[in-house]
Amino acid sequence: MSEWLRVFRRGIGIENPLTVLMIGLCATLAVSTQFQNALFMGFAVIFVLAMSNVLVSLFRRVIPSQVRIPIFIVVIASFVTIVDLVMKAFVPSIYSVLGIWIPLIVVNCMILGRAEAFAYHNKVGFAIADGLGMGIGFSTVIVLLAFVREILGTGKIVWFDSTLISLPAGFAPPSLFLLFPGAFLVFAFMIVGARWLNERLDARKEGPACRV
Amino acid sequence: MSNLLKLVIPVLVTCVVAAAGLSVTYAVTAPKIAEQDRLAEERSLQAVLPDATFTCLEDSRIVTEMDDAAAPVDVLDAFYAADDSGHLGWALKVSSRGYGGPMVVVIGMDTSGSVTGVSILSHNETAGLGTKVMSEEWFLQQFADLGAGFADDDVSSLDVISGSTKSSNGVRNGVAAAGRVYSEVLSGLDMSGSEGGSQ
Repeated sequence: MSEWLRVFRRGIGIENPLTVLMIGLCATLAVSTQFQNALFMGFAVIFVLAMSNVLVSLFRRVIPSQVRIPIFIVVIASFVTIVDLVMKAFVPSIYSVLGIWIPLIVVNCMILGRAEAFAYHNKVGFAIADGLGMGIGFSTVIVLLAFVREILGTGKIVWFDSTLISLPAGFAPPSLFLLFPGAFLVFAFMIVGARWLNERLDARKEGPACRV
Repeated sequence: MSNLLKLVIPVLVTCVVAAAGLSVTYAVTAPKIAEQDRLAEERSLQAVLPDATFTCLEDSRIVTEMDDAAAPVDVLDAFYAADDSGHLGWALKVSSRGYGGPMVVVIGMDTSGSVTGVSILSHNETAGLGTKVMSEEWFLQQFADLGAGFADDDVSSLDVISGSTKSSNGVRNGVAAAGRVYSEVLSGLDMSGSEGGSQ
């Protein structure tokens, strides 16, 4: 169980796909302009990542290594299409904004990367832990990033048609934060924050961390 | 040969299983999606011409003429709007280029060709920036002041939202195209006695 937790927590902390491994960045920077969109993107990624990890891990002994990549892609694409259709049917307002980024989860290197690097070599239990951990790690970062970008860029946080939080009217929101330079800026600060947090947590648990 | 089969069969099985799974999902969600699309279109049409019933124009000659008049904007659908008292006007569903790709804009016009309302059906603009064309109410409302028989110059003299120029232009080009379609095609149509095509 402790091993399971360790794998799970790795995705959120020391091997966070966004702040540490830095994979799957393009969708992250594009979608993180609105809190609400980022949240749904996060759910979609958690679902696809966990499900594809489970399937790849379950069948890892019968998938010949020469054709593993096409099989991974088919599995991932199927789950992405399921998410795509379900979102279109039940949350059309979100779908209309996320649009192309949902189908593009197929080629998000994070999903393929975890199938290849982890699920293909590990038991189902750990594959679930890795999928959930990585998914939650991704979602946490993208949601925080979107929160900062939306509140600084538009002055408020919108949830469907209602405004959740709004800054005082005197604040003139710089739209820089909604554009790519703002995304890189906020993301850079988040990387710094994540490193600081990871080092502190490591130091507390395992004594001085080994430096390379 | 058997080596080759060992590689082909797993891929084949994966594809068949994936296809089956997707067919089931599609069968479940397809009616829902069609319903959502219909509702969204209905909402947009009602927003630009309230309380009208809409009949799609399907005559291929009219459709070609409208496409020519609207170019480079695409006319996706044109509707004849009427209520119990008779002809109310026209609604055009056009696809125009915004910042992030095509924007589908619905434009309502009365019988004299002045704009009754503009609504955006789908778009791919930057949230919080390009989407200001929807959240800043004055922007879509200014088209209603254009008056009958407006031309491209009238539309291009309207304000755009600073920072959302391309998104604003997407909407403006859509409305300008609707103006051209009205003056070149729709104004000359005699719809009395015929109900166009079917909804």
